[in-house]
Amino acid sequence: MANGTTTTIPHDSGHESGHEKPQRSFFGLIKRPQQGCHPVIDWLTTVDHKKIGIMYGCAALLFLIVGGVEALLIRAQLFLPQNDFVSARLYNQLFTMHGTTMIFLAVMPLNAAFFNYMMILQIGARDVAFPRLNAFSLWTFVAGAVLINLSWFWEAFHGGWFGYAPLSSKDYNPGMGADFWILSLQILGVASLAASFNFITTILNMRAPGLKMMRLPVFTWMTLITSFLIILAFPAITIALVQLMFDRHFGTHFFDATFGGKPILWQHLFWIFGHPEVYILILPAMGIVSEVLPTFSRKPLFGYPLIVMSGAFIGFLGFAVWSHHMFTVGLGVVATIAFSLMTMLIAIPTGVKIFNWIGTLWGGKISFTTPMLYSLGFIWMFMMGGFTGIMHSSVPVDHQQQDSYFVVAHFHYVLIGGALFALFSGLYYWMPKMSGKMMNEIWGRFNFWVMFFGFNLAFFPMHLLGMAGMPRRTHTYLGDMGWNVWNAWSTVGALILGVGIGSTVIQVIYTCFKGQKCGGDPWDARTLEWATTSPPKEYNYTRIPEIHARDQVWADKYGKPEEKSGPGVPEPHGIHMPDRSWYPLSASLGLFLFGLGFVFHNQNFLGWDHQLQMAFIGGGILFLSIFLWALEGPRGYHIHPEAD
Amino acid sequence: MKILRILASSVTLLSLLLLSGCLKIDQNQSALDPKGPVAGQQADAFYVTLYLTTFLWVVVGGAMLYAVWRYRLKKTDDPSELPEQTHGHPLIEVGLILFSTACLVVVAVPTLEGILMTKTLPEEYQEGAITVDVTGYQWWWAFDYPEEGVTTANELVIPVGKAVKLNLRSADVIHSFWLPKLAGKVDLMPGQENFMWLQADEPGMYWGQCAEFCGDSHAYMLFRARAVPEEEYREWLADLKAGPEVPVDAPEMPAHYAQEVVHGKKVFLQNCYSCHMIGGKGGINGPNLTNFAGRATIAAGWMENTTENLFRWIKEPHEIKPSNHMWYGVPMKTPGAGMITMEGLNKADLSDEDIHAVVAYLQTLK
Repeated sequence: MANGTTTTIPHDSGHESGHEKPQRSFFGLIKRPQQGCHPVIDWLTTVDHKKIGIMYGCAALLFLIVGGVEALLIRAQLFLPQNDFVSARLYNQLFTMHGTTMIFLAVMPLNAAFFNYMMILQIGARDVAFPRLNAFSLWTFVAGAVLINLSWFWEAFHGGWFGYAPLSSKDYNPGMGADFWILSLQILGVASLAASFNFITTILNMRAPGLKMMRLPVFTWMTLITSFLIILAFPAITIALVQLMFDRHFGTHFFDATFGGKPILWQHLFWIFGHPEVYILILPAMGIVSEVLPTFSRKPLFGYPLIVMSGAFIGFLGFAVWSHHMFTVGLGVVATIAFSLMTMLIAIPTGVKIFNWIGTLWGGKISFTTPMLYSLGFIWMFMMGGFTGIMHSSVPVDHQQQDSYFVVAHFHYVLIGGALFALFSGLYYWMPKMSGKMMNEIWGRFNFWVMFFGFNLAFFPMHLLGMAGMPRRTHTYLGDMGWNVWNAWSTVGALILGVGIGSTVIQVIYTCFKGQKCGGDPWDARTLEWATTSPPKEYNYTRIPEIHARDQVWADKYGKPEEKSGPGVPEPHGIHMPDRSWYPLSASLGLFLFGLGFVFHNQNFLGWDHQLQMAFIGGGILFLSIFLWALEGPRGYHIHPEAD
Repeated sequence: MKILRILASSVTLLSLLLLSGCLKIDQNQSALDPKGPVAGQQADAFYVTLYLTTFLWVVVGGAMLYAVWRYRLKKTDDPSELPEQTHGHPLIEVGLILFSTACLVVVAVPTLEGILMTKTLPEEYQEGAITVDVTGYQWWWAFDYPEEGVTTANELVIPVGKAVKLNLRSADVIHSFWLPKLAGKVDLMPGQENFMWLQADEPGMYWGQCAEFCGDSHAYMLFRARAVPEEEYREWLADLKAGPEVPVDAPEMPAHYAQEVVHGKKVFLQNCYSCHMIGGKGGINGPNLTNFAGRATIAAGWMENTTENLFRWIKEPHEIKPSNHMWYGVPMKTPGAGMITMEGLNKADLSDEDIHAVVAYLQTLK
């Protein structure tokens, strides 16, 4: 350590003892990594929320590029009518994997990256409640992501990210693609659930003294609400996927109409998950924007309680509107009317947020930094996506727009113009905190304008295509439908958007190595994460501060004397840091093999006539890892940053 | 500021474009060129939401642009001077919530009207209404007229000015019946019968397409609806009922038929008859081909019904539609035995002469 001294402790007892025999893992086969271990081992076994957050972020950016390339291939195919750049099957695989990748492997982990890194700092904690579980979430996410992308080497799923039965059943989709997809989503679900329980526990229990719930930064609030949405929504898709797997392999006929099953059941279960999932993607984005706007307007967030409450209200209503994805499947009159009106109701809390963001700008002193541009762009495009959302809530309008390119335009306005722009806002805003280095402003603004222009060129024409009758998920179209020009422009726009995103990713990498160094609070910001150094030390705060105001860092700089934070109490025995552990990684590896084994049930795996052996091996590793994990204890060591 | 100028001009331009209607959307499958009451109501509801959201866009977007412009940090400002640290205003917030609610009522009215109008056939349209049972197959459409006892495929024929009640079913996966100029889509669900109705107020050829992803050749699952005057519709029905001049399973054909046609019927009987029906005789796994030559398109609306196209379609259907069942064989779901696949043309080994003959035969079916 640069400053302070370190001592190791045998158990999580708080008692210090200098020279304890280092613990060993896997029945003594391998040393439990200690301070100063090899960097590769350090990253593989870390329990530090900041390193885990960075790994989530790197993986998310990687898969953003993978999903982006898939999107560009789709657009290349649609550039011309009756094009044969890719085959119908490959096109269907591309849009299936594009949707799955962007939702589960790009936007959700990018959210998780900021939850991990920033939320902990914002509540003045040293780490999450369960650091090893946090590492397990990360590696399990990686396991699911690798598994689903491995499918490209055998057969990628071609049933859409929504996997509607009976098209996804064994009868109509006999290949392994569906099994890859089912098992990967199950594994990704485990990762999301574990992370969410961890975040909820952390936010509820590990806030700094004085940090009441109504003083929490909005981003932390949105982390909390999103985590609740995940633990309530994911069980629905877990059940649906289990039923689909049973239908495919064990003849259960949940969704098989010939045997009295109901295809509509899949849709209900999928969208009970799928609609809250939309808010799982967008609420963190709203949280980021609610941090960035006040900072660069130099004013507190307008109507903080209402913003928090509307976030919770959106989350709550999100579970009551799933059937608006199903207005055309033939529901009864009452159900149709109820889901239509409930959907309209969601416009109110969403509108409240937009009004309050404008209220935040009103009367401020606005500086147009890159994060601010991305946040303003977010409001603009999210507003447009919201307006087309109101259109879909009207059933007669939806009968024409459902499954047309109008819907594609709508949700890309919400998920790129909304979620991705806000996440990039967060990236530019928090990169100095995470790396200690500033992102170049001119480069950043260039990226913003390229993305803004490319995005609108790519997706605005899709509104027109939809109203002109172009259905989604069609790999080709006739040349005399009047769709050619808009499709061509859309492809050009997608390419420009791709350049903007690629340039941003390059800038992130560049900044890590060559960025200009910055201090702890380069933006003159408001919330607690800016109170510590950039990047923070592994223990985050030398002393946990006492909180006396909502925007504590701002209050410390400009507030009344009674709002300034208290000095905090030094830890009596030094700061306890938990040890690194092999078990989260090995448990995830077990889960990966478990999934892979089921995918290759009675299949040939690289020349091996595989039955279920791999699943048994993987399950064994998983079980053993969890067992040993429970026994090893957090252990750890003490840091004394104030000893010098 | 550059940002403000660009944003302001883009708002103005897009609003003008939308409001002046210079983006004319009247293509083959346009939802905004309605030719019947259902699509008309749906387009009206769309315009209500469009005008409302455009109004909101101008007001809210304008407020945002104004705030961004008015409260920007100017070069002359003292950066250390802080703006007033206001936290919100309850009256403004509550007022805006009430305003949003009022806006939604405007949308709710045509919405409820539309739901009630489409779920059952309203009283005023019931006179002279006809019924058609629509069945979706991977990747074509069967249209049965239960009141008339006739069947056709991929080209729906309906009388102008009369309501058409559609009972929607699927033989395999989920499809969706979308005829944008006449009515928005309703899905065809396996094991469930859905209802929709539509009416064409003008004669003409209307374009439709499957709107629910249904597998490899989803993009090729098109169809047409031909709306014709009542008398013409009756004639078409009579023709269909009469069937071909020579029954498809008749052992011999009259002498005035060319040798090629006679050979074509033989090839048809050997290779096509088990799936395709002509004049009430044949299989039901493929499109009914009675009066086939009268149809404008083949391959479920994908190609025009010409001699060259028809030849190519029979010779290499899998090159036109991937996973095509005519080529690879029809997968049949049987309780007990699971999926079995009937023999397709890939096993038939037809010569070019055979195919030319079948084409010639099919072209006699008027």
